[in-house]
Parts: sequence; C-alpha cells; structure tokens
Amino acid sequence: MKLLRVNMSQLQARWEPVPSSYEQLGGRALIAKMLLDEIPPACDALGPHNKLIFTPGLLGGAGVTTAGRLSVGSKSPLTGGIKETNAGGTAGDTLGKLGIKAIVVEEQVKQGAFYLLHITGDSAELLPADDLRGLGTYATSDRLQERLGADCTVISIGQAGEFLMLGAGICTTGERDQRSNHAARGGLGAVMGNKGLKAIVIDKPVGKTIPFADAELFRKTARAYAQQMINDPKLGTQGSQHLYGTASIVAAVNEMGSLPTRNFSSGNFQQSTELRGEHLRELILTREGKIGTRCMPGCVIACRNQCVDDTGMPIVGTMQFETIALVGSNLEIGNLDDVARLNYMCNDFGLDTIETGAALGIACEAGLVRFGNTEDILSLLSQVGEGTVLGRVIGNGAVVAGRVLGIRRVPAVLGQAMPGYDPRSLKGNGVTYATSPQGADHTAGNAFGARKEVNPLGITGQKELSLKLQIIAAMLDSTGLCLFARPPVIADPQLMVDMLNGIYGWGWTKDDLNRFNRDVLRNELEFNRRAGITPADYRIPEYMREEPLAPHNTVFDVPDSELDTVFETL
Amino acid sequence: MSVEVEVFGQLSPLTERHQFLRLKRPVLVREVANRIGLKPEEVGLITVDGVQGDMEDTVEPGCRLCFFPYMSGG
Repeated sequence: MKLLRVNMSQLQARWEPVPSSYEQLGGRALIAKMLLDEIPPACDALGPHNKLIFTPGLLGGAGVTTAGRLSVGSKSPLTGGIKETNAGGTAGDTLGKLGIKAIVVEEQVKQGAFYLLHITGDSAELLPADDLRGLGTYATSDRLQERLGADCTVISIGQAGEFLMLGAGICTTGERDQRSNHAARGGLGAVMGNKGLKAIVIDKPVGKTIPFADAELFRKTARAYAQQMINDPKLGTQGSQHLYGTASIVAAVNEMGSLPTRNFSSGNFQQSTELRGEHLRELILTREGKIGTRCMPGCVIACRNQCVDDTGMPIVGTMQFETIALVGSNLEIGNLDDVARLNYMCNDFGLDTIETGAALGIACEAGLVRFGNTEDILSLLSQVGEGTVLGRVIGNGAVVAGRVLGIRRVPAVLGQAMPGYDPRSLKGNGVTYATSPQGADHTAGNAFGARKEVNPLGITGQKELSLKLQIIAAMLDSTGLCLFARPPVIADPQLMVDMLNGIYGWGWTKDDLNRFNRDVLRNELEFNRRAGITPADYRIPEYMREEPLAPHNTVFDVPDSELDTVFETL
Repeated sequence: MSVEVEVFGQLSPLTERHQFLRLKRPVLVREVANRIGLKPEEVGLITVDGVQGDMEDTVEPGCRLCFFPYMSGG
C-alpha cells in the first residue's frame, strides 16, 4: 500500500511507501497514531501544522459487506482535540481498492485559492478549483462528475467549509447519483477549507482488487460474517434498520424520555408520532420514494432512504435519526417534510446537522426565531450559505451560538454538540460524551439499546458499559465497519481476526485485536492530554447536573470520580 | 383498571398496534405479551412507563407498556 502526501503550500502531491509503524493501522487507528506522531498537538487546528487525513479502514476495498466507510481525521477546531469522523459512500472502498492507505493533506494554500485533488489510478494532481467556490456540495458533486466522469467519487465541502465554520463537515458521494454521505462531526470541513481544498475526485478503479494473504480464510469468514448480519433480527431484510432506517428508534428514544426537545429541555416530544420511523416509511412509500437503499456498495443492511415531497420530487436522502432529533424535536418541528428541507439545506452547505440543530435550538431559546416555526428557522439557516454574521454564528455551532446569544443552556461537551440522546435519561451515553476523546459523540460508544443489565437511568455499571462500547467503537472505526454492523463481531471477535488475517496474513489473535482497539483510545487520549485538554474540559454542562429532565425528572448524576476513572483499566 | 399497550415497528402487524387491556391484578410483562400474541423472542426492547424493562417485570393497572422490535442506536 502507499500514502499520498499532498502539500497545499507547494501544491504538490507525492506518493510514498507506508512506514512500518503505520502498516497495521487503518481508519481511526491510523489517524490517532499519525496525528500523535506528526503534528504538534497544541497547534492551531486551522493553522499550517495541522494535517487532514482521509483513510479507509483495514477492511476497505476487500469487499466485506458494510465495511467501506471513509474515515477523516484531524485536530478538531471545534473540540481542540483529536477527531475522527466517518461516512459511507464509495470513497472508502475505492481508496482500499487502489491500495491507498491514506491521503494526508498538509500545510495550507498561501493566497486563499481553492484547489481540487484529482486521483486517477497511480497519478494525483492538484488543479485550480476557483470556479467551484461558493457552490454547495450537491452542485460541486454534479459539476465534477459532469466534468470527470459520472462514476467517480467526489469528496467535497460546501460554503460552511469555505467560511471555516466550526460546524462544517465533509461530504462524499455514493453509487450512481447518490449524494450526501457526511463525515460531519468536529468541524473538519473547516480544516479542509482552510487548507484550500474544495474537493477530492477519485476515478473509479477498473479491474482493481486487493491481494489476499489467505484468500480462502478471508472468503469463508467474510461470507459467514455477511450471513450473520442477514440473520440478525436487527439487521436483516426484516430488521428495523432495513425497514425503517435509523429513524426506527425515534419512538423508543422518546418513550425512554431521552429525545432532545426544545433545546434539550425535555426528553419527550408531543408530536413525536409524526417523526417516527414507521411514519417516515409510510410517507416515503406512499409517495414512491425509496426505502432500504445502500450508502456503501454491497451493504446487506441497506438502511438509507430517499425522501420525496408530495409530488414525488426528491427532497433529501437519507434522513436519519440524529437529524430528526436535532432539527426536528429539538426545534419542536413535528413534520418530516420540514425536517427534510432543513436536512437538505444543511447537507448542501456542508453542515453537521447535529451541531447545527443544537445551534438553532439555542437561537430559538434566545428568541431569535420561534420554536416550531420552520420558515423562520429555514430563513435563519439560509444565512449560513450567505456568510452573514448571523449565519456565521449558527454555522459555528452550539458553543459559539450560546456565547453570542447569551444562552447558558448549551448541550455540548468538549465544544461539540450532543447528538440525539439526552444524557440525563441515558446516562451511559452521558459517560461516553464526558470521557470520549472525540467529545460528545454517540458513535464513540452508544449505550442505547444495551439490555436491562445497566439501567439507563441509574449510575451503576455505566462506567464499565461505556468503556466496553468505546473499545468496540474504536475497532469499528478503524476497520471501516458501520456502527450497525457490530453484532456479529461483538459476539465473535474471531470473525474480525480471521478477516484481517485473511487479507494481511498478520497471524493476529483475539488478544492482538483487543490491544489494537485499546491502543486507538490510548493514542487519542495522549494526543488530547498533550493538546492541553484536562478532565474539566470533558464535563457534562452544569445545568444538566442541576436541571431535571422531564418526564423522568432525572439529572446527570454520575460522579466526576467515576468519569475520571473510566479508562483506568484500558 | 386497564393497561395501555403499544407495539412498534415490525411488531405492529402481529397484534393491534395500540390497545388498552383490562387487568384485575398486576401481571408480568410476559403475560401481557402472551395475551396479545407476541412471542418474547420477537421483542427487543420493553418499556414500562418509559423505563426500560424486561419480560419478568410486573405491570400494574394504569401502566403504559411498550414493545419494540430489536433495534440499535446510531
């Protein structure tokens, strides 16, 4: 495999062999090690010393179902710490097939120009892209696919990234006309914009396959893994994920009193029936939209959807739980069409819907716009694309919005907005938010759905549960697996060991895999420590420890002493 | 006294989606599931008055009981 180093100051792209210290790493694991080794952790996230890394997981390109995610990593301008955020689409699979371990973007352009990185087989070049300036992610993808081929993969930023907004994410395309897979979190779109990189285009690899150390072991294990996914009651063709998408959990999260509502002031939303996955499915099928489509080639879960309006015209694809929670119930918007319109606008500007939904909730609480008034909220959101002062306040996320608008109730940890689970009634997630080196991030260790052995409203066992989930998440994010693909590898980690040994011939054992997973977290924690982040920076906001959340009237009461010892046994 | 029962997702076609069952005494969740025709192995998540529970929990008259299929967050 090889690394592609792209120097934005000298406008050069050069290939280099993968150093031995990176050989057995991919995705989040590679990002953690590379950032720790190669950048000063205390550097300015929007300065020349930060690096932006695009990398497939260790399974990328091998044809394992649901394992083609693209990891993007950098020091986060939002959290000030390390960040890995990942997305579906075709980029992860494509990079894996091309034998590209990572694209490492270094330095930054000198005069505020924008460039496009075009990768074709073994060549890579930077091309001027000022004609793309000011375009949203949809138009950017369309224009580049018209110019360079309909089947190429486009990774791009929208206006939010160009304006260096801290809520900016990075968008990737998928198969055919699929758009809007977002590596959304942590403001990494701003890092890409700051480097002067508007887009990366990767031509579709033709006839490329990766070499296998033990093809028979790999095939046998990958097949067994796929079959277990198909047989899983959550994931197969009769499972919730496929039938209702990630929105399948809206009703359950609401019932458990954890659905962010009215800027995280309640855990129940009265109009939640209008936002449920069941309603979403019915609405889409009635209008002849699409349900059960894929974000990655060969995924057997297929949880994507294509929302259409009442005339059958596409609004957005895909609409997911986190977006429904943050720009739906959190803003007291109880109408999926309205959520879809907000979702589309966020996607086009290249904004994280979680960060932006939280910022808009704060704007509502401040009286800038009214809760539940979609037109006013859309109007405010549209200012992000125009780069007005108010638009920049929203586009810079929850913490900035809270400071500018004088709102103390800011649902954020380590500078990053909380996703769609209020930690006062799902305390396992609260522990993850308050300890993960990634900040408030549900994908770092999501306790929703953990069975009754750990009471979501209690304190007991949350610390151990969160650590276990964070270690599993590190494995998923480092191998390119989707979060939803975890049941088979949790039940039998040997599956993962055998797939990796089948590809690489490393002769790993389950102990090696366990060490690998834990090293990801160790490196990330060390990076954050060197960046100057202290335990106090990770705390759940004070108001969530004092202000009871309806309907269970609970506060987040896991003691700091518990939080500070989560990684004691790492 | 009755207990309010709601089922979600792919459990919905298996029984009435939203119903009120008359109870003379507290019963186990498992008994309610049997009464409405749900097999325990089809149920992934249970809440009793919004609190996550299981088949062996007791349901009192006046409770709200929800059955969800297997699902995962993300």
